[in-house]
Amino acid sequence: MIALYVVAAIAVFAALRAIIEKNTGRKLPYANVLNFAVAGALVLLLDHPLSLVAAATYFVGSTLEANAIASTYAGGGKR
Amino acid sequence: MNAVFALGLAILVVGVLSVAFVRPKTYIARLINLEIPGWGLLLIMLAYDEALALLTFVAVTAIGTFVIVRLMEWRDASC
Amino acid sequence: MITALEVTFGLIALAGAVSAALIRDSYGKLVSLGILVAGVLPFIVDRGYLDVAIAVSLIAPIATIFVLLAVRREER
Repeated sequence: MIALYVVAAIAVFAALRAIIEKNTGRKLPYANVLNFAVAGALVLLLDHPLSLVAAATYFVGSTLEANAIASTYAGGGKR
Repeated sequence: MNAVFALGLAILVVGVLSVAFVRPKTYIARLINLEIPGWGLLLIMLAYDEALALLTFVAVTAIGTFVIVRLMEWRDASC
Repeated sequence: MITALEVTFGLIALAGAVSAALIRDSYGKLVSLGILVAGVLPFIVDRGYLDVAIAVSLIAPIATIFVLLAVRREER
């Protein structure tokens, strides 16, 4: 039960830090930290076998999203 | 009124006001703001326990976003 | 769910919605939209709809990538 509170505290800190930050390049690592914390909270929240699949899917999807934003922000894929 | 319904209502009101009074008056900002009340409506549907409505709403929102993006590309290319 | 966790994730979702409404930069708006999704998803899992949670976490990055196509075309 203590692990859930630790993960929630990390999520609040990362969310506030990602919102307050002015520079977009410094926002993205904190958004990644928030995504990892939420993926950990999804596993600990419910005792069900399919919960692990949901958390793994969220982990892959949120990492893909953050990397797509970072790649477009850095000017990748330019023709 | 439980917590999920109240949170969904709050996010729906914030999103509708942000779409109506969008600050940089561009198509992109209005399209990104249009995704906020979708998540509020998802939480309101979650409070009423309708699983099939949730799945259909998420899929149709993504298809609608894709159609609007293609429409914006076509409009910029034609004029 | 425990009430403290409910308040915590609700606060994260509400902060993501308000900041996505107020930030003027397009990339900042997309990052705030990711924060909003991260706050909404534990409520879906807590009600027991794991199939809906899997569908949401697969479709939300696809919608963001669709918007990124338009953003890249706009700033060029």
